[in-house]
Amino acid sequence: MDYSILAVQLMTGLAYGMLLFMMATGLTIIFGLLNVINLAHGALFMVGGYVALTFVKEYTNFWIALLLTIVVMAIIGVLIERFLLNRMYGKEFEQVLLTFGLIFVLSDGAKWIWGSSPQAIPVPEALRFAVTIGDISFPAYRLFVVLIGCIFALILWYLEAKTRIGAIIRAGVDDREMLGALGINFKLVFTGVFCFGAGLAGLSGALGAPILGLYVGMDGDILILSLVIVVIGGLGTWKGAFIGAILVGMIDTLGRIWFPQISMAIIFALMVIVLLIKPSGLFGKEVKA
Amino acid sequence: MSLLKVEGVSKSFKGLQVLKNVSLDLKPGERHVIIGPNGAGKTTLFNCINGVLPINEGRVEIKGKDVTKLPPNTRVPLGMARTFQKNNLFGPLTVEENVHLAVTAVKPYRYRWFRPLTSYRDILDEAERLLKEWDLWERRKRVVNELSYGEQRLLEILLALASGPEILMLDEPTSGMSPAETAQTTRLIQSLPRSISLLVIEHDMEVVFAIADRITVLHHGEVFMSGPPETVKGDEKVKEIYFGGGAVAHAHR
Amino acid sequence: MNKQLPLAVIVVLILFALPLVLSNYGMRLTTEIYVMSIFVLSLGFIIGFAGLVSLGHAAFFGLSAYTVALLSKHVSTNTYFLILAAVLVAALMAFITGYLFVKTSGAYFLMITMAFSQVLYAIFHQTRSLGGADGLSVNASLDLGFGAIRGTYPMYYFMLICFLICYFLLHRYIHSPAGKATIGVKENEDRMKALGYKTRNYKLIAYTISGAMAGFAGALYAYFNHFVSPESLAWHKSGEALIMAIIGGASFLYGPPIGAAIFVVLQNYISTYTERWPIIMGVLFIALVLTRRGGVADVLNLLWRKLTGADRKESATETTPTVQSGVSKEGSGE
Repeated sequence: MDYSILAVQLMTGLAYGMLLFMMATGLTIIFGLLNVINLAHGALFMVGGYVALTFVKEYTNFWIALLLTIVVMAIIGVLIERFLLNRMYGKEFEQVLLTFGLIFVLSDGAKWIWGSSPQAIPVPEALRFAVTIGDISFPAYRLFVVLIGCIFALILWYLEAKTRIGAIIRAGVDDREMLGALGINFKLVFTGVFCFGAGLAGLSGALGAPILGLYVGMDGDILILSLVIVVIGGLGTWKGAFIGAILVGMIDTLGRIWFPQISMAIIFALMVIVLLIKPSGLFGKEVKA
Repeated sequence: MSLLKVEGVSKSFKGLQVLKNVSLDLKPGERHVIIGPNGAGKTTLFNCINGVLPINEGRVEIKGKDVTKLPPNTRVPLGMARTFQKNNLFGPLTVEENVHLAVTAVKPYRYRWFRPLTSYRDILDEAERLLKEWDLWERRKRVVNELSYGEQRLLEILLALASGPEILMLDEPTSGMSPAETAQTTRLIQSLPRSISLLVIEHDMEVVFAIADRITVLHHGEVFMSGPPETVKGDEKVKEIYFGGGAVAHAHR
Repeated sequence: MNKQLPLAVIVVLILFALPLVLSNYGMRLTTEIYVMSIFVLSLGFIIGFAGLVSLGHAAFFGLSAYTVALLSKHVSTNTYFLILAAVLVAALMAFITGYLFVKTSGAYFLMITMAFSQVLYAIFHQTRSLGGADGLSVNASLDLGFGAIRGTYPMYYFMLICFLICYFLLHRYIHSPAGKATIGVKENEDRMKALGYKTRNYKLIAYTISGAMAGFAGALYAYFNHFVSPESLAWHKSGEALIMAIIGGASFLYGPPIGAAIFVVLQNYISTYTERWPIIMGVLFIALVLTRRGGVADVLNLLWRKLTGADRKESATETTPTVQSGVSKEGSGE
């Protein structure tokens, strides 16, 4: 057993998990607060990657591209929420259908604009090296992604534990009517949350592009994994998204290498087990009857 | 021999104790009314007895059988039926369809899949009998959402009666009703045969004293006292609990 | 029902007479619509009458199709055997997964059904012996014992009859005590429990029936298409079925087939002009959802009521399914 290869594989899995974590956080918070499963989340991830690609080609600087991508995706998120979801306020099933229709618009739109051949964003020059620990060399970019993920987790932890925003979100997930009663403009919160989720999805897509590439059908793959993560982790909780994403990211990456034919089945089995034991997810709250 | 026995039931929600060591029973033919100020835990008690909420401590027995851990749908075969404080009907369906569902629940045909429900004469006949008894026959083709509040409240009781229960639990049957509706409902409740025993939650004192054989007073989740109407009526402490905070004696709309 | 019987007879007669006015191409398209309609009927049934919104219904469709393809290759080409086996496989799969999934509700149910069908897709996609990404050809032909059913006309009438049978069976079901109870569970599960119904049973039964019917459609599709590929298991397929059901209107039994017809025709027509059918479909679908109507069937029903002065509709209910975040609490046991 070549430990150095295993270590790199584990790290790749971890990096993948971090990308999924950032994505899933947006999805689960949107879900927890707005009661809407944003089925277009995978498409937003993919579009984020493509948008970043364009900016990278335009400005050749990966970091600027990243920032611009976040802005663009956040704007798209606001537009979606204000002009589509808002119209069906209170009708969650219809809102889910809307995001479903959006998948086709976004993914075929992406195919139209960027073509159907697979693309990639090159790893930014600053990170084109390997970090050697012991006698294992890790690609620096993947370490970077893991680092970003950890920082993000820390920010979330801080926001939730120490600030009002976290309390509002937690309260909103628990009991939406309470938000209104507290005098908080929840329409604004909803737009903000969706914008946050979209920006996050786009950022993950952009960050992930050098590792995963950009290909037709990617939105579906990512969406399925994100849904599995939310089911395993529980809705409305970023901690659940974290654990779920790391698990799924690892299993998917390692599974593809070791058990390519049943990696999906393993992930799925995990989801079923969680559903049987704790239906509201590992970190989810027991929902009111 | 009690039809229904509730022993030492306690229930907490996230650390807040809503029911504490509540015990009561229902004898055959009895009309047992539970009263108490808002928030005393009356509906929670119903939910516990009915199996909708799990109990932390205590037990519930129906005709000697321990049903504490059983789900709600096991109550009906054992002869218990309940109504809800807030109308819990099948809104988009017609009155008739609502009653059909209630009647079919205890029939052996409830899994039959080929013949239309309306071809089972006994279901239709029983529904007709119930609707006529409770004065809703004329309205049977109306969609429930279009009924007046009082009519919906009546239907609420009707659905529970459809299963032919021995124990009928009514949760504030006259809440929100006009004086005329309240009087009609009280008459209808009084006309129920003694083969059905009643456990009723009520706020309207006129209704309470019109129907009760026994009254239990619930306060802060505990049984404060229990006894015949005259005893409860005359008790000073009860008056204080119930009326002391300025609570209104009559809950008319 | 009695007011609608003449209308139903007229529609059936028209369907039987259609070949008189359709081209060969049109007939093949319509035949395809019949097969898809069975699939979409089954989905519309659980959405509109059982309140279970699934985005993974293609699992049963595709599994059945593959069963026909594989068994016809390795075991037998007897039509009765193949179709029966395919439907049974689908029904069994629906029962097992339904048993596990039905205890979840709304959003979780949606997600887990979607994930399940994707898993199947991945398995069939990756496994060489099952055809892999290239799929499998189906070399069997429909033969009920009096000659092979081949050619445009026989296929057309065969699929039409299959569709009518399925529609009839579902129609009986939703008017039966079991069907009414299922609708009741969708409308107000808590009250149904309080009335004494074992609600989970009804959901499971509906899901199993639906899966079996989707499987039937899949088996027919294998014969019709002579070819099966992993795509028939992918969530896109489930998604398309959902769109068809919603366009048509899921609260009416006849809605989804209408939706299927519209979708297939539109897709065929628009695809000849542009590759951008998915965007157009997405936009049309979004526009439809925003108009808040219950699909084409809802509009038709309104017209019918105006024309005949009826004051009630023969539908499931007016409410749409909900996709809440809740997970149903089962109390204890069951």
